[in-house]
Amino acid sequence: MSLERQRIFWAVLFFLMILAAFIVPFTPLLNDLTTFYGAFLFWNVFAIVVIICLGLITARWRDDDER
Amino acid sequence: MSANTIYLALFIYFILGSIIARQARSKLGSGVNDFFLAGRALGGIVAALTYSATTYSAFMLVGLAGFTYIGGVGALGFELIYLSGLVLVAFFGPRFWLVGKRYNYLTPTEMLGDRYQSKAVAFVSAVAAVIFLIPYSAVQLIGIGALLEGISGGAIPYLAGVVIAAVIAVYWTWTGGLKAVAWTDSLQAAVMLTVAVLSVIFIVYRAFDGFGGMFTQLEARYPDWLAVPGPGFFNFKAFLGLTLPWFFFSLSNPQVSQRLFMPRSLGQMRIMVMGFLVFGFIYTLVSILWGFSARLLLPDLTAADSATPVLLSLNIVPSVVALLVMLGISAAAISTVNSIILTLSSMVCRDVFKFVSVCSDEQKELRVGRVFVPLFTLVILAFATLRLDLIAALSVASSAGLLVMVPALIGSFFWKRGSAAAVLASVIIGGLVATILQYSGLRPLGLWPGVWSGIVAVTLFIGVSLVTQAPKEKAEEFIGYLRGELSRKNVI
Repeated sequence: MSLERQRIFWAVLFFLMILAAFIVPFTPLLNDLTTFYGAFLFWNVFAIVVIICLGLITARWRDDDER
Repeated sequence: MSANTIYLALFIYFILGSIIARQARSKLGSGVNDFFLAGRALGGIVAALTYSATTYSAFMLVGLAGFTYIGGVGALGFELIYLSGLVLVAFFGPRFWLVGKRYNYLTPTEMLGDRYQSKAVAFVSAVAAVIFLIPYSAVQLIGIGALLEGISGGAIPYLAGVVIAAVIAVYWTWTGGLKAVAWTDSLQAAVMLTVAVLSVIFIVYRAFDGFGGMFTQLEARYPDWLAVPGPGFFNFKAFLGLTLPWFFFSLSNPQVSQRLFMPRSLGQMRIMVMGFLVFGFIYTLVSILWGFSARLLLPDLTAADSATPVLLSLNIVPSVVALLVMLGISAAAISTVNSIILTLSSMVCRDVFKFVSVCSDEQKELRVGRVFVPLFTLVILAFATLRLDLIAALSVASSAGLLVMVPALIGSFFWKRGSAAAVLASVIIGGLVATILQYSGLRPLGLWPGVWSGIVAVTLFIGVSLVTQAPKEKAEEFIGYLRGELSRKNVI
């Protein structure tokens, strides 16, 4: 995948994930689930997925002396 | 807790930090870049720790725990969405770093001024940073003053706490510039995280027999606190209004975005980003669990912000751990204040008084910058002693007010049509909107100031750019250079 396509792919993916983090816990799916595995677990999983994605993106960065 | 014990702990802390700061000074170069950016040669781990300590203030264990106390799990969503704002650093961090090296930018506001070819842009952005960050810093000192006063049962006067924190912040900063700030921040970040984790484990295991026990009790006694809107504090509009401006914190706050100029290499920047994410995730969880514990153990508090000091005064936490938590919260506040002071000082000559003769060469610029370190501290101290309503309003408005810089920052990397007039309009009018709405308490259509300032800034930046002249040549050169370098370095 070209760099431009990757840029668009990640931007769209992050946009959707962050949108979900804003909306999903307020929807009937989670807003009456008053347990540990409701919004608490959802937001934790969201953060862990974001951290993993950022690990993947930054792992590809190259410094001049590495090539 | 006795006043003498607290004074002694703070004194030992100050001495330890001062030894580190003086050690840092011995390795300090003589230029402006050395003093304010650690010579653009910061290692990844120190960069991660200073980024963490600067970002996380006394707000976490006091304010965020308080939000959890009154509003429940929504506080976790708010803070983790903020943490996910680091995706902006994955996109913009390498861009800042590359142009910072190429054009020798010292401050993010200088970058804006050069990119849009306008001294007024640098001036107005720097002044906006001063207007919003000084009250924000004052509130940090106010927090320490109130904490020490509360934890000592009034034996340490409010003013004494504020002055002690200010003296520590200014001494370390003045001694060795960014290198001393980064090294002492590393100490402070380590203290913040260690004591926070330790204390929450003490509370959860002693009071609830573990995390399972705590959640079982929450589900039984306060089930609403595990959902949103839950008890009502985090209705969707409030959640959006709080969270949206903070999502852009890593770009909008110059004391944080200036740190994108500092890593030695992209590899070190990666360590900085990932280290911060891990730190932030743990620190957030701890602050939230702290708030939940307070909800279960202290159900009748009238002021949510007092949850932490009152929890510390219970016998669940051993007094030595409570003392360390007090130090950890003070460390969080001091490490935020000293970084802000240094960033604002770096803007004085570079962006505000650029063409005054006292700033005419590098050594003069460095001298002026260093003089402003104690001057800004005095102003912050004065604000903290006044405790005016406007200071609190401006501090709360800081995230909404600084948000107005984001369209111009994103535009500088991606949109060649962006113009200086558009930056000025979006920063000035957007900043005024944030301040007026925050101070008046108005919420048009139920939306919070941060949402309105964001909408106004984006609309003005795009609208005014379309009808005014953009600096085409600079935009071509700036964006063209980045395109080539990003491709070589495999940065998205």
